[in-house]
Amino acid sequence: MNDYIATFHTHLAAIMAHRALSALNISARMMPVPRALSSSCGTCVRYSAEDANTQAMGEDCESVFMVHPGKKEEYELIYSQE
Amino acid sequence: MKKVNWIVVIAGALVGLAAVLLTALGNPANMGFCIACFLRDIAGACSLHGAAKVQYVRPEIIGLVLGSFIMALVKGEFRAKGGSSPATRFVLGAFVMIGALAFLGCPLRMVIRLGGGDLNALVALIGFTIGIFIGVQFMKRGFSLRRNYTLGVTEGTILPVLMLGLLILVVAVPSLFKFSEAGPGSKFAPFFAALGIALVVGALAQRSRLCMVGGIRDGMMFGDFKLLYGFVAIFAVVLVGNLITGHFNLGFAGQPVAHSDHVWNLLGMLLVGWGSVLLGGCPLRQLILAGEGNSDSTVTVFGMIAGAAFAHNFGLAGVAASADAAGGVPTAGRIAVVIGIVFVLAVSLLNMPKKADA
Repeated sequence: MNDYIATFHTHLAAIMAHRALSALNISARMMPVPRALSSSCGTCVRYSAEDANTQAMGEDCESVFMVHPGKKEEYELIYSQE
Repeated sequence: MKKVNWIVVIAGALVGLAAVLLTALGNPANMGFCIACFLRDIAGACSLHGAAKVQYVRPEIIGLVLGSFIMALVKGEFRAKGGSSPATRFVLGAFVMIGALAFLGCPLRMVIRLGGGDLNALVALIGFTIGIFIGVQFMKRGFSLRRNYTLGVTEGTILPVLMLGLLILVVAVPSLFKFSEAGPGSKFAPFFAALGIALVVGALAQRSRLCMVGGIRDGMMFGDFKLLYGFVAIFAVVLVGNLITGHFNLGFAGQPVAHSDHVWNLLGMLLVGWGSVLLGGCPLRQLILAGEGNSDSTVTVFGMIAGAAFAHNFGLAGVAASADAAGGVPTAGRIAVVIGIVFVLAVSLLNMPKKADA
């Protein structure tokens, strides 16, 4: 089980992805995008799953990061739309 | 996840300190920083309106944008992006400005006024919080001004370049501009001191994402209070600064550049809170985002400047109380605030997802 953070172009896209993940019984929650990932102030979805489930993120997903736990979390980019 | 984000607290504390310092150096009382007032002063200096008491090229605005721009470049975070309903953002920016000028201050000055003991700002904070709460209800149900897109680098540099141009012009040919001889526009800290302080504040605001709307919004939407600590830090430092310098004056009456027209202070800032949630940030945040390449925020800043011009050309702005008059929001201003609230309601309703999407 890994932790992931998905970022989106809009808050609405984050809501939709949160719903899609919840429908797959994946534990997910919406939160402000961590500062380390972006200087803008969008909404991201953080979730725990066996794999990143990028297919559930919708077309307005910007990127997906795998979270490496530790004293200070690190984020590894595993999917980017651009 | 409730841990304190120290960069936000430090940024907030330094903004508070900068506000106290700028007032001590000559800025109007309880107006160390005010994005709405300072954009209005710049609009006046450029003859976009003719209110003789509020005309000055405020270097704080130039410094905030350039500070953010430089920091974003240094940190590799400059991104030219835009295209998210720019015309809607322009008009929202204008109405946010009209709401702020009814109260006589942006959300940042509201916090600074609170730190000076001005209880009119507490009434405004209630309106501001209600406005954010209403905006958050639409956000939760899928309100969206649609996504932005990556644009050419030049598009992202428009506001920083304009600010640099304004800086060069005001230093080289000051006679181009109008400068108030009385009123708030005639009170200012030394130009380069204010510019330097604002450069630092702009850079820190870029690092911390400091935002007066974001703290309350994130608290309501996610139970995340990180940005709110910045808001609290500004208040705390300004309060202590005012207590030390003897400028703390608790009450409604006798407050500098303020009035006690409670209903319209509340409704003006309700409009600001609601509009700012739809825009994704307070006026300070719009300047910082524009500095790091967001052309939607640049358009919003242009809207705010236009709103300031409208506010003074059509007599919409609040009138500060004086020894012989109570001041308040004139009838035209009240009508404009109501039209603004109707406009943000319409924007909120018309940008909800279609049933098929939601």
